[in-house]
Amino acid sequence: MPENAGYMIAAYIVAAVVYLVYGGSLITRALRALRSDRDILGR
Amino acid sequence: MKPTISSSRGIMKWGIALTVLGLVAMVGIYLLALAYTPLEVRQGAAQKIFYVHVPAAWSAMVAFTLVGLVSILYLWLRDERLDAFAASSAEVGLVFSVIMLTTGPIWGKPIWGTWWTWDARLTLTLILFLLFVGYMTLRSAVHDPAERARFAAVVGIMGMVLVPFIHLSVYLFRTLHPMPIVLKPSSPSLPPEMLRTLLLGFLAATVLYVGFVVLRYGLARHAMAQLDEEA
Repeated sequence: MPENAGYMIAAYIVAAVVYLVYGGSLITRALRALRSDRDILGR
Repeated sequence: MKPTISSSRGIMKWGIALTVLGLVAMVGIYLLALAYTPLEVRQGAAQKIFYVHVPAAWSAMVAFTLVGLVSILYLWLRDERLDAFAASSAEVGLVFSVIMLTTGPIWGKPIWGTWWTWDARLTLTLILFLLFVGYMTLRSAVHDPAERARFAAVVGIMGMVLVPFIHLSVYLFRTLHPMPIVLKPSSPSLPPEMLRTLLLGFLAATVLYVGFVVLRYGLARHAMAQLDEEA
């Protein structure tokens, strides 16, 4: 392992978790909204 | 013009596509940073935090600058779509700020020997973050939509004013924070592999910013359209 690799891994994990949690929550909300419209409007 | 369900559906679909594209591009940046860029001699692997930290800082500053510019337009035109965009950009800017303010100290610990120091760049960035936390709190505390938009626009403009000070703080004050290496008057001072990865990182973070904002804005427009249809 190169020097300071633990810090790099920690930073990459933090960034990935934030991006995935926020992006995932927006996509889930949007898909739910699109699905509910389709159910109501029949499109 | 009032938002409609069908227009918000189109915006949300674009937002999903751009967000997925941005997330895939960010995976590409991770792979480039780990496999393609050389190991820096003095900092070791900690230097590679830079490919995550700097693009996130870029997107946060773009987000907060756009909040201010769109807020000025809102105060002039009083269009609720501008207020919805400003709120979306502020929320997304906070997400990028969280990454900037966590990955920065993780780099600082092995390189500076401390997680945090109260120098101008770091302190101003923290103040900007807290100002936009206040912006979001204000939005949830005021119930009248026009009043909420007007108050929030003023706070958003104040936040935007901080952005150039943050960029120039490394020139104006004595600071531990490294000087700009790309966004500066002279040419970038980086080996080509590092520069290419960083520039692609800026691109990936910009696509991700656009995807998040379009998706968040589409959700806001969808909620507004639903309220209009119920009324």
